Amino acid sequence: MQVLRSAYFLMLRGLRESARQPAVELTNIFIPMFFFAVTVGAIGNIAAGAFGVDNFVGFQMPVAILQAVAGTAGMAGIATTVDIERGYFDKLLLTPAPRLSLVLGRLAADSVRAMLLTGLVLIAGSFAGAGMEAGPFGFVAILVLAGLFGLVYSAIGMAIALRTGSPQAAQAGFLIFFPLLFLSPAFAPKEVFAGWLEFLATINPVTYVLQGMRHLILEGWSWRALAEATGSILGLGVLTLSLALAALRYRTS
Amino acid sequence: MTAISAESLVKHFAADIKAVDGIDLAIPEGQIFGFLGPNGSGKTTTVRMLTTLLRPTGGRAEVAGLDVERQAHEVRRQIGVALQDAGLDELQTGRELLHLQGHLYALSAGDIKPRARHLLGIVDLEESADRKIKTYSGGMRRRLDLAAALMHRPKIVFLDEPTTGLDPISREAIWRYVRELNRDEGATFFLTTQYLEEADRLADDLAIMNFGKIVAQGTPKQLKDSIGADVITVHIEGDAAETARAAAVARELDGVEDVRIVDDTVTVYVRDGRRAIARVVLLLDQANLGVAEVSLAHPTLDDVFLRKTGNHLEPDAAVTGTDGSEAGGREASA
Repeated sequence: MQVLRSAYFLMLRGLRESARQPAVELTNIFIPMFFFAVTVGAIGNIAAGAFGVDNFVGFQMPVAILQAVAGTAGMAGIATTVDIERGYFDKLLLTPAPRLSLVLGRLAADSVRAMLLTGLVLIAGSFAGAGMEAGPFGFVAILVLAGLFGLVYSAIGMAIALRTGSPQAAQAGFLIFFPLLFLSPAFAPKEVFAGWLEFLATINPVTYVLQGMRHLILEGWSWRALAEATGSILGLGVLTLSLALAALRYRTS
Repeated sequence: MTAISAESLVKHFAADIKAVDGIDLAIPEGQIFGFLGPNGSGKTTTVRMLTTLLRPTGGRAEVAGLDVERQAHEVRRQIGVALQDAGLDELQTGRELLHLQGHLYALSAGDIKPRARHLLGIVDLEESADRKIKTYSGGMRRRLDLAAALMHRPKIVFLDEPTTGLDPISREAIWRYVRELNRDEGATFFLTTQYLEEADRLADDLAIMNFGKIVAQGTPKQLKDSIGADVITVHIEGDAAETARAAAVARELDGVEDVRIVDDTVTVYVRDGRRAIARVVLLLDQANLGVAEVSLAHPTLDDVFLRKTGNHLEPDAAVTGTDGSEAGGREASA
């Protein structure tokens, strides 16, 4: 329990940091919303004819959500490198708090931030006419998926931060998201992809997170889509959390 | 009872980089122990091993009776540490930092607030406790770091160069807090420093470190007494010949161990300087030598370091011999 207790207080610290640097979060929400508006404006009118998507606002909303989540999920890594550079990470290592809590606290803060930004995108999307076929609990399900995705995705930046101690390298962790996003059915359904791209999209975990959210918005509840989304996040989480813990062992050995 | 002990403690960063090269320590509870040495002498590496941040390459160490390698987690519960750079989270306030520290040490919620308030009062940060740390001066950060190290009432406190870079007023304040906390809370302090005055004024006992080894250990008085002489400095009226003649006269005095000339000053190393100073002046007067100025000083820890290593501890104190070569001491021989 000491792990969870320490992680909780470290999470609160991470959230306080965000509240005191609102400009950072404004950037994390502005860019996805900008791309959301531009993409809908550019392709929305032809989406129905081109690839059979009638509600392109709803189709694009999960992309904006994942962009916002990936943006804020880089904070754990960058903040950790700042702690390392300033010597505060050593201070934390000197406490009897379990080492695991030092990682979990930061990741949990990213997860909460991811859910807050997702909430903003959902509100904006609702005003833009995205709708929610799954009803009010669909919003909750999307928030949970976004929070989980934020937690496991931020572990990438955390792993890089702990291994290198470099803010620049930790920031580069965010860039990994772009190939994952573009190799998914972010802008068009997978069915219209070329064969090689469809294959890559099929093995890309981001595809299933997108589809899980889209299903809730466009069609309603689908336990299969939700299970695939959750399974993809958990699978990715096993990989990224293992990397983060290995990096923590490296730094503290 | 021993608070900190080390046997043949070694840390090598590479085959040819011996940061700590086999040191032994036995520090009793309740003591302020000074660990004095120049930059790069191995002080911080020793602290990092004793506080579980670094694994020793060889030897063993115990803190509060616990092995620093095998019982690292338990050791961390017993110690408070303020590292060389007061690494603090600049976006938190001073009070928030102390509260977080309390939570990470699993203090009860009812204990954390009054304890933080008490410590903020001790280190004179009550008024600025709710300001972000990024607005704090260097001295305030050091004081807050000290308070954070004491939040969980540790039995043993490690302070790694707590006053380096601070102005004299802030330095004095830190010294005062350390003395008060040692007296009031009974904590053992392990204090590294490169300042002679700090070691001299604060430490009950101290070790002098150089190139990864302890070259001298004892109380400040014992170490200075080991030099075996006081220092009388005489400024003679007249030219260099008069100064040389004064040095020759002084050398005849009973109890004189060494006489040196630096510029136009004669420095006399003599046992029991308080009794000797009058005789020095009398002899010089009888030899018709005009004494412009005379002073008596006790040996410093720098003299101890000089005697043990052939170098001054503080680089600024290094001198050049009369022939322009490095004297390896404070003065050139007469």
